[in-house]
Amino acid sequence: MSNGKQQNESAPSSAPSSALSQDIDIVVANATAQIKTVDGKSFNRRLIPTALWMLLLVPAIAICLQALRWLLGYSASQLLPLGLWAILTCAVPAIWIFFKIKTRSSLVSRTQALRATDEQLGSSERILTADQFLQQDSRDGFMQAAVDDASQWAQRGRDAELEQLAAQPNTNGVAFLAIPLAIAGLLLASFLAPFSRATLENGAGNNSGTQLAKATNVAPISTNTKPDVNEQKEIVKQTPEVARAPRSKKATSRQSAANAAVPESAEESQGKLSEGETRESQQSANPSSARGSPSSSGQPSKSDDQSKRKPKIKKPKKAKKETPRESQPRKQEEKPSGSTAGQGSSKGADNSAAPSDWASMSQAATPDTEDNAEEENEVDDEEEEQESRGGVQPNMRDRRAPVNRDLQIGFGGKPSPDANGRGGPSGQKKSRGVASLVLGVPIPDRVNGQPNQGRIRITQQRITPEAEQSDRVNAQDRSARQGPVGPIAHPDYSPWLQDIVRRYFLQRRAKHPLKTTPENLMPVESLKTTSVGESENPKS
Amino acid sequence: MSNTLPIESPEAAREASDEFRKIHSAIRTEVGRMMVGQLDTVDGVLAALFAGGHVLLEGVPGLGKTLLVSSIGKAIDLSFSRIQFTPDMMPADIRGSNILTENESGGTKLEFQSGPLVANLVLADEINRATPRTQAALLESMQEKQISVGKRTIKLDEPFCVMATQNPVEQEGTYPLPEAQLDRFLFKLVVGYPAESDYRTILRRTTANENIELNAVSDAETVLRMRHVVRSVPVPEHVETEAIRMVMATQPGNDYTPAMVSELVSLGASPRGVQALILAGKVRALLEGRFAVAGEDLKAVAPDVLRHRILVNFQGISDGVTTDDIVAEVLKSL
Repeated sequence: MSNGKQQNESAPSSAPSSALSQDIDIVVANATAQIKTVDGKSFNRRLIPTALWMLLLVPAIAICLQALRWLLGYSASQLLPLGLWAILTCAVPAIWIFFKIKTRSSLVSRTQALRATDEQLGSSERILTADQFLQQDSRDGFMQAAVDDASQWAQRGRDAELEQLAAQPNTNGVAFLAIPLAIAGLLLASFLAPFSRATLENGAGNNSGTQLAKATNVAPISTNTKPDVNEQKEIVKQTPEVARAPRSKKATSRQSAANAAVPESAEESQGKLSEGETRESQQSANPSSARGSPSSSGQPSKSDDQSKRKPKIKKPKKAKKETPRESQPRKQEEKPSGSTAGQGSSKGADNSAAPSDWASMSQAATPDTEDNAEEENEVDDEEEEQESRGGVQPNMRDRRAPVNRDLQIGFGGKPSPDANGRGGPSGQKKSRGVASLVLGVPIPDRVNGQPNQGRIRITQQRITPEAEQSDRVNAQDRSARQGPVGPIAHPDYSPWLQDIVRRYFLQRRAKHPLKTTPENLMPVESLKTTSVGESENPKS
Repeated sequence: MSNTLPIESPEAAREASDEFRKIHSAIRTEVGRMMVGQLDTVDGVLAALFAGGHVLLEGVPGLGKTLLVSSIGKAIDLSFSRIQFTPDMMPADIRGSNILTENESGGTKLEFQSGPLVANLVLADEINRATPRTQAALLESMQEKQISVGKRTIKLDEPFCVMATQNPVEQEGTYPLPEAQLDRFLFKLVVGYPAESDYRTILRRTTANENIELNAVSDAETVLRMRHVVRSVPVPEHVETEAIRMVMATQPGNDYTPAMVSELVSLGASPRGVQALILAGKVRALLEGRFAVAGEDLKAVAPDVLRHRILVNFQGISDGVTTDDIVAEVLKSL
């Protein structure tokens, strides 16, 4: 405030408007030039990090394309040469920079220039305000005073350097990380080019897998499904308790009985074959058909049981959904496993098995498998039901009309033909629920009456309200209260009751006199409050 | 009257500006003899008085809100009345009512007995304790500067300024002011606790035999003249634009509205908010020794002008967002 005062007093009384206009024009030109320079620099500073990050765009696309190719199972190929990828990588940010520079507007408005100068000088927008007032034809006293006030600031602003514009944030150094990342991305994309899923699965990709493993320092995953003998030994060593655990007699006898009672063909049957469905297709579709193979290995381990159960959950329908490419290699894998299973089933070779009613006899023979089958059936039913309903829709298999819950009363005493809900079509429905709560007869929710006792007569006196002077009241003039204060603690007993009580205590004390020790003596004040009636004995 | 003449020459403008600052300083000094500290509140109340608006003072009991208003009334020599609002107060209790009186010929006639609202400076103490019916009785007087009783409309004397107080803590048994009434207050000033040094001064002044009598350093006519000076201050176009955008930015779903405001505000400032911003900005420009309003004036007065015109929604309240936070966000976004 004081600062403003000083400026106001030091301002010239009247300054020619033309001189001020010239000064303001110079200020605008000076500020515009500075803003353009600084703006160009800051523009470049903002542009470079963005452009650097854009270097990652093409490598990312290349990696994504290679990953997509691999996922879709297309053959290994280099989509574009590495050099072309590199050129594209550099071209994208270059084009973007070119576009941004071309579309950049380098216009600095007059207001912007004057505002920047005002901020630099701390003149509280005096120059900008004066410039606006100068453009008006008529100016009142305050406007002219504002113009005069600004002339001093305009002169100072002619050579002002806009320091606050120079302080621009530095380029973010993290953005330069985009260059090595882009190079790494391109190399990765080109490295992924020779790999494909098909080559990996056919075993031909063994070499490439080894290469990949070498490149990534990961042990190569063997694609051979046949377990190595040495590996099996290692597995046995790792699970000694499982391997050493003797099979229970019951289980052994159960299995042997089942094996003896059930012919091979019945053991391998999976259920009825539908029309046009071959036994082989069912086997291939149902992965659980390979369950007999564990006996070939002769290792009744726990993991085998688990492996038996797990495929049960898998649905045949899901298996059908698999692509032919995926199902074909699986068939190829299953056939040899069946053929090499000496003790187990020969399901891979047996194509002439007659269809049985339901699950295999081996499943029916053991209680565990029976339970499993039941569970499976339940799960199947539930899922089938859910699928048919879609989770939301009602079960329409019974073809019954949906229940109509319309409680509308029919016309003319006749029942509504649509009202078949809650027991089917019947006579006139008794209204229930909300419908019965709707009042048909309007009931007034208030009772007319008189809000008060009746008519009130107001007597008016013709007196103008005036303030009254009252004498001061001294506190000493007030007398003490005469009557009892508060509730009476000891109500007065009637004389006969006082006499009875007095005599009772006198007789009692006469029989059992108290020893007068100093401890037994009570203070006189307490006697006054605790005594009943007119007891004269201080000990009481 | 001289106070309605336009200020044509720059010399007259400078003189008016100087006089304004002198009068403001004199009143401020005189009030400061009684009121310890709270300079921002004193400035706000005086700014509202010179801008022709009303003030809502919010603060816990014992901060001197009532003392401030009564001191200003004494320092300016304005007719001052105080209304202690209670739930059983009726509109007629503050406006006045027609009573039946006897005339000279022995008949009767209805005669208007004015209430405490008919004064220059009205202190509406604990305004939120009155029922909405009584609060609504203030609406007409605050906006139109008149009261209507029966078929009679009485123009209130200028300057007329309502200075209402409310306690933000005890909200039980209160009736929060409706938005329509809040909007009629130029400022909502939040009165805070005094500083440690102020406590010492308060103790010395109030617990000794010192009896401070305030002198009138100004009068109603001077206040009216200063109001005319305030309204003569020009507003550049870019400042008008800034004020408009500032208010629009408080309205959710607007182009200038920041994301936080759109998310947490259910009701923004009205066009009265722009008027209040400009008027308060004019007062501040004069006090700063300038002859036109600048953007910094708007930013300085924005919290006091806008905080009671913004309604934070449920999410904002649950997040602990206040209207001051919203105003700060709006100022940052502009």
